[in-house]
Amino acid sequence: MAFNSLSEFLMMGTHAVYVWSAYGFSALGLTWLVWNTLATRRKTRDTLRKRFLRNRTR
Amino acid sequence: MTYSSFLVSEFLVLWRRKQDVFNALLFFVIVVVLFPIGINSSPEFLAPAAAGIVWCATVLAILMAVEGMFKEDYHDGSLEQLVVSGLSLPLLILLKIVAQWLTVVLPLLLMMPLLSEMLYLPSSGFWVLTMTLLVGTPSLFFIGVIGSALTVSIKQGAMLVMLLILPFYLPVIIFSTLAVKASQAGLPYSGLLAMLLAISLLSLVISPFMTAIVVKASVN
Amino acid sequence: MSWAWFHKLGSPKWFFSWSKPWALPVFCFGCLSLLIGLVWGLVFAPADYQQGNSFRIIYIHVPVAMLAQSCYLALGVAGFVFLVWQMKMAPIFIKAMAPIGAVMALIALVSGAIWGKPTWGTWWVWDARLTSVLVLFFLYMGIIALQNSLDDQVLANKAAAVISVVGLINLPVIKYSVVLLETLHQGPTFTLTKKPDMPPEMWLPLLFAVIGLYCFVAGLLIWRMQSEILKREYRSSWVKQEVTEHGL
Repeated sequence: MAFNSLSEFLMMGTHAVYVWSAYGFSALGLTWLVWNTLATRRKTRDTLRKRFLRNRTR
Repeated sequence: MTYSSFLVSEFLVLWRRKQDVFNALLFFVIVVVLFPIGINSSPEFLAPAAAGIVWCATVLAILMAVEGMFKEDYHDGSLEQLVVSGLSLPLLILLKIVAQWLTVVLPLLLMMPLLSEMLYLPSSGFWVLTMTLLVGTPSLFFIGVIGSALTVSIKQGAMLVMLLILPFYLPVIIFSTLAVKASQAGLPYSGLLAMLLAISLLSLVISPFMTAIVVKASVN
Repeated sequence: MSWAWFHKLGSPKWFFSWSKPWALPVFCFGCLSLLIGLVWGLVFAPADYQQGNSFRIIYIHVPVAMLAQSCYLALGVAGFVFLVWQMKMAPIFIKAMAPIGAVMALIALVSGAIWGKPTWGTWWVWDARLTSVLVLFFLYMGIIALQNSLDDQVLANKAAAVISVVGLINLPVIKYSVVLLETLHQGPTFTLTKKPDMPPEMWLPLLFAVIGLYCFVAGLLIWRMQSEILKREYRSSWVKQEVTEHGL
């Protein structure tokens, strides 16, 4: 363990701003990627299912 | 149609549209003039920056010229004629590039003495710059033509060509400006010229075939 | 050696049913490994004696930068495969991969800039690797923009493949040219031939993070490819069956 306490960990020496902003931006980017992937997946399935069901009832 | 008749007709078309070529040259000069006016007009700034300024303007002017290369042919159907003509499409594209290169780059080279005076470029740097232009610009045409063919069916394709192609131009700009800088510092620059030549030859080998693939796909 | 698997890859249907059980486990394994690597790196790894704690950005920066490059390599190979064998899966792969690569390049740029501030005292230097990642980002954006503006599917496939291949051929030239511009960046952290300079308690978490991010991206890629396959093959009966009978 490189840190003695939680506050020391959050401070990251003197580099809290840099470390956490870098990780924050990375988390943002990766989360967007996951969200976008899953949303596309759901949307594709939904539109196709609706189209198929509509054609069936006709 | 034969290869020579195609080349002649290409020159004829370019001659009839000499206003376009003239506009590209005017655009080139205006971009060059922007730098002394916009940044600094002192010889201390301009002499080392001249090669970079000229190259940036060249790249933009060539992109403007290359971007519309297939547009008209695509819309009036002559591009389709080329595909079904039975001649080798990559070779026809190569001839088209040669015609375009001669009409754009030669006038540009003729203007170089004037511009290098305006940018306070010393005469040793001037010759190296001219050489980089001679050796490097073919690759700009070869690469740009791919982008031009890719976007031929899109109405507002000019911006997309810029976005697509400009990153590929970076090495050419870097090697050229480094060569001029090296010559101004009294260092050997022949290796950098050789790199430029290598890029031009590499793109000469690849580009006509890639462009032919795209042209065939766009026409169908 | 049998090439059957290679030809099977050409069939979207085969790929869809083959990849179906893989996406979630690979993605979860990737998340787990990434998390282990990051927590290990952030909490347990010792601070760098020169850079202090700011070096901990390495645990996200290096994996992301590696992926930004690997993704482009994969794009170029897929483009080549499409131009030579006309394999149907290749453009699907390119379409799914390009946004992932763009995000990776962007994260690499931003985290690198943030790391540069305490280390070099400036957000940006025109150094070889920063510049080449910036160019990489432009190349990704170009591919995405091109695909979005071409309506004809056949043409869009060809166009994306051509620009990927051309990009891959040009990438070494771009890299070499920006190396000639002066370099400030530290040497590569991982090379295949040499043992890393860092002590193991520093590079082990990095290894976890790299492997984790690769699997994370692989999982996402499979999902994106599946969506793309469904979109493109909606006329075929197996898609109808797949969508109406099985749930999400």
